[in-house]
Amino acid sequence: MTLNITLNGKQISLKTDPLRRLLDILRVDLKMTSVKEGCGEGECGACSILLDGEIVNSCMIPAGTVNNSSIVTSEGLRETERGRVIIEAFAGEGAVQCGFCTPGMLIAAEWLLSKNPDPSDVEIREALSGNLCRCTGYDMIIDGVKTAAKRGAGLW
Amino acid sequence: MLNNTGAEFMSDKIGSPVERTDAAEKTGGWAKYLDDYDFPGALHGKFYRSQKARAEIKKINLPELPDGYHIIGRGDVPGLNAVSMIKQDMPAFADGHVNHIGEIILLIAGPEKSGVLKIHSEIEIEYKELPPVFTTVEALKKGDLFADYHLKKGDPDTAFKNAVRIIEDRITTGHQEHIYMEPQSLYGSWKDGQVVMHGSMQCPYYVKHSVVEALGCDEDMVRVVQTTTGGAFGGKEDYPEIIGTPLAIAVNKIKKPVRLVLDRIEDISFTCKRHPSEIVLKTAVDEENNITGMDIDIVIDGGAYETYSCIVLQRAVFSSTGVYDIPNVNVRGRACRTNNVPNGAFRGFGAPQALTAIETHMGHTAEEIGENPAEFKKKYFLKKGSATVTNGKIHEDVLLEKMFNIIDKKSGYAEKSRQYRTVPGKGIGISFYNHGCGFTGDGEQTIIKAVVYLDKKKNGNVEILVSNVEMGQGLRTNFPKIVSRILEIPMENIIFKDPDTGFVPNSGPTAASRSIMVVGFLLQEAAKKMKKRWNDEEEFRVEQHYRHPEEFTWNQETMQGDAYPAYGWGITVVEAEADPDTYEITASRIWAVHEAGTAIDEKILNGQVQGGVMQGLGWGSLEKLQLKEGRFLQTTMADYIIPTAMDFPRINSEFVDNPYPYGPFGAKGAGELVFDGAGAAYLSAVESAFNIKISALPVTPEAIMEVMLK
Amino acid sequence: MVKSYRPETLKEALELRRSEKMIPLAGGTDLMVKFRNWAGLPPLFEKSVLMLNNISDLSGIYSEGKNIIIEAGVTLTETAESECVPAPLRKAAAQIAAPGIRNRATLAGNICNASPAGDTLVPLYVLGAKVRLENIHGRRELLISEYIRGPGKTVLKDDELLTAVIVPPDTSNISFYKKVGTRKANALTKVSFLGLAEIKEGILNRINLAFGAVGPVIVRSKEIEAKLIGLKSGEIDIDKVSAEFSALIIPIDDQRSTAKYRKKVALNLLGRFLTRVKEL
Repeated sequence: MTLNITLNGKQISLKTDPLRRLLDILRVDLKMTSVKEGCGEGECGACSILLDGEIVNSCMIPAGTVNNSSIVTSEGLRETERGRVIIEAFAGEGAVQCGFCTPGMLIAAEWLLSKNPDPSDVEIREALSGNLCRCTGYDMIIDGVKTAAKRGAGLW
Repeated sequence: MLNNTGAEFMSDKIGSPVERTDAAEKTGGWAKYLDDYDFPGALHGKFYRSQKARAEIKKINLPELPDGYHIIGRGDVPGLNAVSMIKQDMPAFADGHVNHIGEIILLIAGPEKSGVLKIHSEIEIEYKELPPVFTTVEALKKGDLFADYHLKKGDPDTAFKNAVRIIEDRITTGHQEHIYMEPQSLYGSWKDGQVVMHGSMQCPYYVKHSVVEALGCDEDMVRVVQTTTGGAFGGKEDYPEIIGTPLAIAVNKIKKPVRLVLDRIEDISFTCKRHPSEIVLKTAVDEENNITGMDIDIVIDGGAYETYSCIVLQRAVFSSTGVYDIPNVNVRGRACRTNNVPNGAFRGFGAPQALTAIETHMGHTAEEIGENPAEFKKKYFLKKGSATVTNGKIHEDVLLEKMFNIIDKKSGYAEKSRQYRTVPGKGIGISFYNHGCGFTGDGEQTIIKAVVYLDKKKNGNVEILVSNVEMGQGLRTNFPKIVSRILEIPMENIIFKDPDTGFVPNSGPTAASRSIMVVGFLLQEAAKKMKKRWNDEEEFRVEQHYRHPEEFTWNQETMQGDAYPAYGWGITVVEAEADPDTYEITASRIWAVHEAGTAIDEKILNGQVQGGVMQGLGWGSLEKLQLKEGRFLQTTMADYIIPTAMDFPRINSEFVDNPYPYGPFGAKGAGELVFDGAGAAYLSAVESAFNIKISALPVTPEAIMEVMLK
Repeated sequence: MVKSYRPETLKEALELRRSEKMIPLAGGTDLMVKFRNWAGLPPLFEKSVLMLNNISDLSGIYSEGKNIIIEAGVTLTETAESECVPAPLRKAAAQIAAPGIRNRATLAGNICNASPAGDTLVPLYVLGAKVRLENIHGRRELLISEYIRGPGKTVLKDDELLTAVIVPPDTSNISFYKKVGTRKANALTKVSFLGLAEIKEGILNRINLAFGAVGPVIVRSKEIEAKLIGLKSGEIDIDKVSAEFSALIIPIDDQRSTAKYRKKVALNLLGRFLTRVKEL
């Protein structure tokens, strides 16, 4: 099929088997390597992206189901004001260790703040519950999201 | 602040947090992990692994290979067909026999993944099955051991003979999988007559050493380069050699690049795990309820090959009496050979098992005697000058009393531990622990012999050349911070790239809580030399070699003396609520106080605490791996579960400063310490909440139910 | 290579359905894992795949008489967030997996996956929900308990699609749902329980009880429920009800839990609910 998507604001067309995982199309065909494969079964959230504004696991999505959709990865988010605010907040709060889960966390943070610009600790924890981190114990990631919400007030 | 070391000349400020140098590039997704690279022309590699736990390989039937596809096996090994670790008992490719499910028999490589899979499905192996050994009970019966260690302190026989009572426990702990978020990933290529290995790893020189032995080639024929490493926790200390050696053999044969990235299921199923343990502890008590002696018998399952089992066992044995000065002790430690998947390095390296056992046993002993656990334990705290279980001594000030006062004030432990005895459903637990920093005994001097370089560039920049890696723990920030502080130049002028054995000296593995304390100290000393010689124009190199401080003595043969030069110390308190219908536990609050010398960066250290305690809580509560006939039942991240952001509350962490003279700015190791006590604290919180006695980790709701129904 | 189809109308989908045996795929969150392949390769579906998410007229939630109709394209997030949907179903949907999966997985898919641990099944059994099955010739409606025949087994015919779920209202004035997962979030279910009761002037007018992940299908007993109706709430003999359910709850040991735990906890949760009902 010819897959038409808006990727990080740009129109893209490519030929693909509709059954291929969106994760593979993003990583292999489009070189969006911020999207990581941690488990391949929707458990870890390292492959999180925004699909029409909603967080999803790109490892579980066949290409054929996303035609004409809008997709945002960390490559796109990092170029936005919101993305920059979250990245700075994460860096400042020590939210990053090995970093493999972090682009997915960035997506999860953006998704949460787009729904709820002033989340509580519990709401942050719930929103991040599909993004596993083995390094930080999560506390500093929670702090990063809170700081981003504060510093970026009005952006979301 | 204590000033008995002379090392804290600048330590008043070193710990103030700076922004991690790798944070933004990782968050925004700029950082490239191995599988993010586009390696043009690289073949895809996949292992063919044993389906049998123990068998003779009678015949291997290989399919016709299409052009461009390769199968590599034992016949292709030019040097030694072994993974060279401590021993060389593990073959690179199975050599006529297989000894565990998942043992590597062949490596298939080809340009298309589908083609590789097709070949994989067409390979047939004829096995002659042999009777396997799956339990330590059977292995002990057969006497099939990797090691059998004995330690004796004082006169335990007399203590037991004169005891008025003997209190006994059998404590078991389970396997644990690392679940570094980035699966094992390597890339091997052939370049200008060299085998070059890139990958996610802790110890580039370990990989290099094993590859050199297997290829039977000169040292300069092999180069190993670390790539951004997405978590490791010990899991990338041994396994990159285990898959890197056959990969290098393949690259050497076919002279083409091969990418090898494990699928998560393959990673969980076959990589080395934390050793499960069974520890029997007996305590001799006199008429005044004093502990007069202990007998500790440790058994761990090493799996089919030795890997690091003997060193893990040594650390378990040396940690067996925890933070306590027990006058008379007998310790025996045995590591069994079985036909299970080999166990290996994992944060803590045998100490968490031993510390869980001693903490739980001390708690049970207090309970039997009718004393408050913390009050009882405090009576036996090690002090400066105390004799250790290896008849060495504690050289440093032990601040456990002070740390207990801090954590007690914050958590209300003493009060709550009394109060909750009569409050159903509420509990509080505590653990005390220490972790010996660096390699055992004089291993740094006799085995590692670390060397570091500092290169002064013409433009005023300084490059750190060491073989230690950033894997999340913060070396990319802390090493430059140490050097920049000494040289009094901005951190931006310090270069620290991912190690490449083509350029960096061997400063040893990134393991054993040694990087900051040992390698960081060498960097500090090198920087001091550089500062003396500093000249804006000149380009020069400073080299620093490890020298073992003379006051620490060790005899590896007899295992007597100072097993570790210094220790990190910790206390964790967990408060918990119990659901009587589902046997579920909710940890409501967690506190931790640690002493790891002086913090190089308080935020990074705090990140180690929060992550380490969480990983320890996972081991203690959720992370269950069960073996059935040599195969793990949990092989996906849906079934092998690690904590999410919802499982545990914020970890309230604090530090106590206690500078160590042979650590940079007084810093000691912390990476493993922070893991060591969480499991025991969780266990004791569950005991308190349900008013029961528990003797096994992980403490799952199922396990709690079984105890409740007894 | 396996074929895939992306129809844009239900009619088109049903015609395709008639033409060839295929696997209907809505959110894909179960199927993409079930048929997973080596990373980078398309999943190994055994049959052609019929992708349903391009059908625009299958994503409504609306009321029809007393009932709520949830169409096949509705996600778990939408189910959990819709105020029209009965509370127990919303609660169960909200506790499945994590946001990334709930944003994609559908209620219909959770039903068709027919896992004994499927969390929406428990409230659907309790509420007496029906599924609407359509083929090119027409439609039929079945109770969820008639539709699901075992783990992964339904009576969906090769030419049919599940197009909507019909959920009767929740008339209870006391309810208790508990999912016991492998951890506190993003968890698979080890055992779950839902009890609903409607008590008027001290008399049990309605009581529905169901258990998840304790047998090949959701456990609910109309016989046991019938015996309780009409009693004064204080007259419930918890031990007797528990003993009756004990015969029906036949869980297994697996990699997530034990049969013994599942059974014990299921009965404990039943006891907790019935105690609350008695105390009302």
